[in-house]
Amino acid sequence: MKKTLSISESELINAPLLFFIINACQIGVGIHGFQRLIYQDAKQDAWISVIISFIFAHFIVFIMIKTLEMFPSNDLYGIHQEVFGKFIGNFFNLIYIFYSSFAFLVVLKNYIEVINVWIFPNLSATFLGASLLMIVIYAFNGGFRVLVGICFFSFICTLWVPSILFIPMEYSEISQLLPLFDNHLKDIIKGAYAMTFTIIGFEIINIVYPYVKEKNKVQRYVHLGLFATLLLYLSIMLISLTYFSGPQLEKTIWATLNLFSIIKFPFIERVEIITICLWMIIILPNLCLFAWSTHRGVIRMVNISSKKFIWIFSTVMLIFILFIKSRSQINHINNIFSHFGFVVVFVYPLFIYLMALIRNSFLKRKRTN
Amino acid sequence: MKKKKWFLLFVIACLILTACTEYRVLERISLVTLIGYDVEDGDVTATSVVRQINPEFESSIEIHSETAETSKGTRVKTDLQSAKKLMAGQLRVTLFGDDLAKEGIEEAIHTLAMNSEITTSIYLAVVDGKSKTLLEGQYPNIADVGQHIFNLIDHNINQQQMISSTLHEVVRDIYASFRDFALPKVKKSGEYIDISGIALFKDGKMVGSLPASDSFYVLLIRENINDGTLQLVLPGELAESSKNPPNYQPEELPIAIDAIKTKRDLKIINENEIDLSISLDCRLLEIHSSLAISDKKITEKIEKEINKKIESEIERIIKYSQEVNSDIFGFGEHFYAFTRNSKLTEEKWREIYPNLKVNVKIDTEIIRSGVFE
Repeated sequence: MKKTLSISESELINAPLLFFIINACQIGVGIHGFQRLIYQDAKQDAWISVIISFIFAHFIVFIMIKTLEMFPSNDLYGIHQEVFGKFIGNFFNLIYIFYSSFAFLVVLKNYIEVINVWIFPNLSATFLGASLLMIVIYAFNGGFRVLVGICFFSFICTLWVPSILFIPMEYSEISQLLPLFDNHLKDIIKGAYAMTFTIIGFEIINIVYPYVKEKNKVQRYVHLGLFATLLLYLSIMLISLTYFSGPQLEKTIWATLNLFSIIKFPFIERVEIITICLWMIIILPNLCLFAWSTHRGVIRMVNISSKKFIWIFSTVMLIFILFIKSRSQINHINNIFSHFGFVVVFVYPLFIYLMALIRNSFLKRKRTN
Repeated sequence: MKKKKWFLLFVIACLILTACTEYRVLERISLVTLIGYDVEDGDVTATSVVRQINPEFESSIEIHSETAETSKGTRVKTDLQSAKKLMAGQLRVTLFGDDLAKEGIEEAIHTLAMNSEITTSIYLAVVDGKSKTLLEGQYPNIADVGQHIFNLIDHNINQQQMISSTLHEVVRDIYASFRDFALPKVKKSGEYIDISGIALFKDGKMVGSLPASDSFYVLLIRENINDGTLQLVLPGELAESSKNPPNYQPEELPIAIDAIKTKRDLKIINENEIDLSISLDCRLLEIHSSLAISDKKITEKIEKEINKKIESEIERIIKYSQEVNSDIFGFGEHFYAFTRNSKLTEEKWREIYPNLKVNVKIDTEIIRSGVFE
């Protein structure tokens, strides 16, 4: 297939929109219950793990963009083909396609599980999945710029979260954060590793990059987007650590939703139910962009129209949802995904950066000879 | 074009019609507003106050009581009794009979915390006696016993007359390693329901109780408060020092104060000793008219006497909690938080706590005293 992308002017987006894309893609289902995963390792220093994981993410995103800058009009799939040649390149492409669709499945299934546990225990997962996929198909058919618009709305929808979390702070005990740094650095790093499931999403820059108009501003807005996510995660983590006692936090599956459940307004007593329903708008960009990312990879190998692709993709995802049933299965899959995601998002970019450097210097030498 | 329209219609129909998967019509369900648990020969007895909404008449209150092995089992049995589906989403209070409380309520609380239908803001309380007798009693002045008990507990907690006992706080303390929890105690007294005291728990089992009049002190030790009224009886000699000594010589001088702002401060001295200092800004509400409270000297004297009195009361309460070995004030948590590498374990704290030396120091300041001297 074609090696470089030809993107028409009308499909390009402005760099500041990257802020919303990165933010919307990171905030998804992980935020509902990431606290206990990190607490298991880092105990009361879990908030430090959050910061460490974000420092690492900033570094990785920097490397990612450096790699992309070497190939200004190509996404990761194209880079694979250019660096490794067609066959090995396509092999790596397959892995990335698999990663994107796996991420799609995990987000979808986790959200359905939350709805089933908190609101509708008897509603079938297939029905929920099908109706969510309908929306994804509808949005996907609008094209890339519509997806970016959804990201923007999703960001607006997360804005109210920090403000409402001031209410549970009435029950906070600051002393539960103490003693500071009482755990081994190793445990804190382990906690940062457990953040993987929650923090990933920013790797979408690998695919979005060629669509950005002002390439020199990419770094700035991607880092800003990451930083905004850090602020949200950090505030939720700090509130959770002071609100719950440690062993209680370890037993709470969706700590963020539990935080909401103590909030009571005269006009609405169960805020968490509204929250969960609204969360659909927050996970929608996750789903759409992961589907889109899969699509970008697939069209490099198979000639398929986007409409056909999304219908086939959705059907396959729906079939997979049928097979995952119990809570323990979901946990197991989340676990596998977070290990796999760590390799793809945090380790692999370093490798591809090195390979791209070697290739470029090799080409240079060849040209001078 | 026509095909597209039909397709759209089909999708809309699917979405709108299937929205009725799980409907809960208010007239067809009954709302459980309060549940009381008792233990009877190893089985659980659940007494629930159920509100039924009827569009034509006033909503009615029913009380069901069932015995089964698990609390969910009692719910199934109660369901068999009632004409409408029971929903627990409006549950506001859960009561525990004192037999059950002595046996341990950790499992019952675990069940409550597991259920997503129930919010974590419901109140928990212990009943003096059986919760069944409390709920099934006849109260001519109380229309809805569930709502009444909720309001009773809620307004006392909001006015800081009683310790807060939301499900969240109890779950937090039950799983915390260095902290025990306390619950309000309610009691049937004739045709009324009172808050009669505070029940102290250790490892989820009730081990003792304090009278309701002590709740102000317990709050004072536990947290910073800004409300709550306290009556004190000071020694009668204070009256002598007033400018115009009263014609009669009272043996005791009762006064009432109202906390405006308090600040509690804990300071660790060593492993077995802790300083508890509380500064208390208060408002004088009631005092014998002969005392010239505008006189600085007299005010200072009163403050000193208040300090002494509160100190002795607090010492008594702490001593009692040490006797039953229930750290409801969270001293252990403070020890853990403020000592590095403390290696404090739950068992170790259980050994330390009864012998912990607490030096109480109160610093009262009367900052307001009403509009009439």
